[in-house]
Amino acid sequence: MATVVERPPGSGRWPSLVPYVVLAVGTLPIAVLYAWLLYSSFFLRVEGFTPIGPFTLENWRFLWDPLSVPELRNRPPIIPLTINTFIFATVTSLVGVLISSMAGYAFSRLRFKGRRMMLGGVLLLHSFPSVTLLIALFVVLRTLGLYDKLAGVILVQTAFALPFGIWIMKGFFDNVPWDLEMSALVDGAGRLRTWWRIMLPLVKPGLLALTVLLFVEGWNQFLLPFVFMPSGSQQTLSTLVRGILGEGRFVDYGLLTAVGLYYIAPVLALFVFAQDQLMRIYAGGVKG
Amino acid sequence: MRVALRGLTKKFGEVVGVHELDLEIRSGEFVALLGPSGCGKTTTLLMVAGIYRPTSGQIFFGDRRIDHLLPKERGIGMVFQSYALYPHMTVAENIGFPLELRRSVSNEERERRVREAAALVQVDALLDRRPAQLSGGQQQRVALARALVKRPDILLLDEPLSNLDARLRHEMRGEIKRLQKEVGITAIFVTHDQLEALTMADRVALMRDGVLQAYATPTELYARPVNQFVAEFIGTPPMNFFAADLAPRNGSLVARTEGIELALPAGPRGAKAPPTATVGIRPEHLAIVAPGQGEASGEVYVVEPMGREQIVDVQVGERRLRVIAPPGFVAKIGERVGLRFAPEQLHLFDPASGARLA
Ligand SMILES: Nc1ncnc2c1ncn2[C@@H]1O[C@H](COP(=O)(O)OP(=O)(O)OP(=O)(O)O)[C@@H](O)[C@H]1O
Ligand SMILES: [Mg+2]
Repeated sequence: MATVVERPPGSGRWPSLVPYVVLAVGTLPIAVLYAWLLYSSFFLRVEGFTPIGPFTLENWRFLWDPLSVPELRNRPPIIPLTINTFIFATVTSLVGVLISSMAGYAFSRLRFKGRRMMLGGVLLLHSFPSVTLLIALFVVLRTLGLYDKLAGVILVQTAFALPFGIWIMKGFFDNVPWDLEMSALVDGAGRLRTWWRIMLPLVKPGLLALTVLLFVEGWNQFLLPFVFMPSGSQQTLSTLVRGILGEGRFVDYGLLTAVGLYYIAPVLALFVFAQDQLMRIYAGGVKG
Repeated sequence: MRVALRGLTKKFGEVVGVHELDLEIRSGEFVALLGPSGCGKTTTLLMVAGIYRPTSGQIFFGDRRIDHLLPKERGIGMVFQSYALYPHMTVAENIGFPLELRRSVSNEERERRVREAAALVQVDALLDRRPAQLSGGQQQRVALARALVKRPDILLLDEPLSNLDARLRHEMRGEIKRLQKEVGITAIFVTHDQLEALTMADRVALMRDGVLQAYATPTELYARPVNQFVAEFIGTPPMNFFAADLAPRNGSLVARTEGIELALPAGPRGAKAPPTATVGIRPEHLAIVAPGQGEASGEVYVVEPMGREQIVDVQVGERRLRVIAPPGFVAKIGERVGLRFAPEQLHLFDPASGARLA
């Protein structure tokens, strides 16, 4: 489904460059910062923009020789943490998208008792700061025996993601014409198959965008893993990074840049690959 | 397959979409649901399709009552007003979708039948395209193929031609009619265009505000409208109406109003004739004659040449009557003329209820 964008006749080369120039100037500081972060991770010290000392992989040695890094010695090993973080982000995003797409469909298409109230509730929950629920959640997780377990944090994170997800998916379903669904029913499909074969493909941009957003949110989540998984082995990368930062006085900046880059690399990659999909969450709608 | 609707009613909260609709459609018949916007045509169709649940009333296919069945159990094909083609599927996948849902149809058979159905409506060259890459007319044909591919007992069409330009609409009118007879399928189609209904349907059901007004063949509807609404709705240019006083004379009736005096050959019989009536006459049943002749006199208000004929508005007293005149007719605006009424073609309606008097 390639979209053909035609240049309007008469628009020359130069006018179309203007937005690029403006955007480039605007984003330059951020780009410079990331570039600085990247190359300073390959030198022991950097003063201003001038590296001190020769090119080195020393800062990245936490990847293959974590025990030689003093800051990491009393912490859980980084590779299992990374895997943990992946599991955490992936599961919360997939489960979140699954539930959001079903609930969003129901809110968009079905008329049931309490629909308006539940929709209002969803919106209210979305604007509710999660910090205020920490103690209550602690009690709930303890009771369920999920405290200090990855599964427990996944549950909480998914629940927090749902209001946003449901709202977004409802918007996408709202944009699918009723006729398509009626037509599928007349063609002989049941409700479930209509949802699967007709509705879901038509909101695919929304599904993809939501998956990416929830993954990133899970990847960046610090508070919940920090509070609900205090013992080390189950933690995520975000708690590790904060841990190193919070260490205080003798911060190894070289190490910090390398770990930081390692931490944000997947998110950056995801944004680069998925930017088209992410745009559509704002554009919304069905495309032919 | 015979279709019967008995007392079919649909309410949306307080709004009555369709009220107590009784309709009988013979097997193989092509019936048009006609009426102005919002009169309940689509609602009726969607109840037959099983999308809407009737508030009350019954639907029979053959002798079987089916209004509790799911859409997929009813054996219907439907073309939606928007065509409702699935944008993420190719034309072939769209047409094949209804068969995909049937286990008894093998993949080879599905492909064969998709090609057959596509050939029937001449879209077999477009099978790999997506709906967005089709013109409106092509989309309409694909929707028709998709509705027919599973060989339904009943075909439902919701304003299938309204998205097409005038030329294509004319062409498809004939094609759909031919196709319906060729396949021999029982079909109901919805339209708000009376010309479409008259030209295509075996019988026309005319609705207003959810209530059936008339159900008859196009000829009957045209020649003997059962009430004033039907008379107004059917025919272009529309019928002329005027109020007149009725008075007996020599055992028959005379309708009289300013500038017009008509002897009614077959007026309402007996003493029960009301003192006044609404008289209707179609423009094609009026003729322009020399001044002083005919049953009415007036002056030419405007002349609209249409090629095959001309529409002449004639001012008679307070009112204006529309007349169809032959192409050779020449008249200046303001010229005095006489009007001759074709005596057998007068329609009388009750001024209060609009019901037909004679
Ligand atoms: N889902 C609905 N909810 C509430 N009212 C409805 C609904 N569908 C239709 N109606 C109302 O029922 C009446 C009949 O609507 P319907 O769609 O059947 O009209 P129609 O004859 O198909 O008109 P059109 O020619 O404009 O398509 C209208 O007054 C409409 O407002
Ligand atoms: Mg309609």
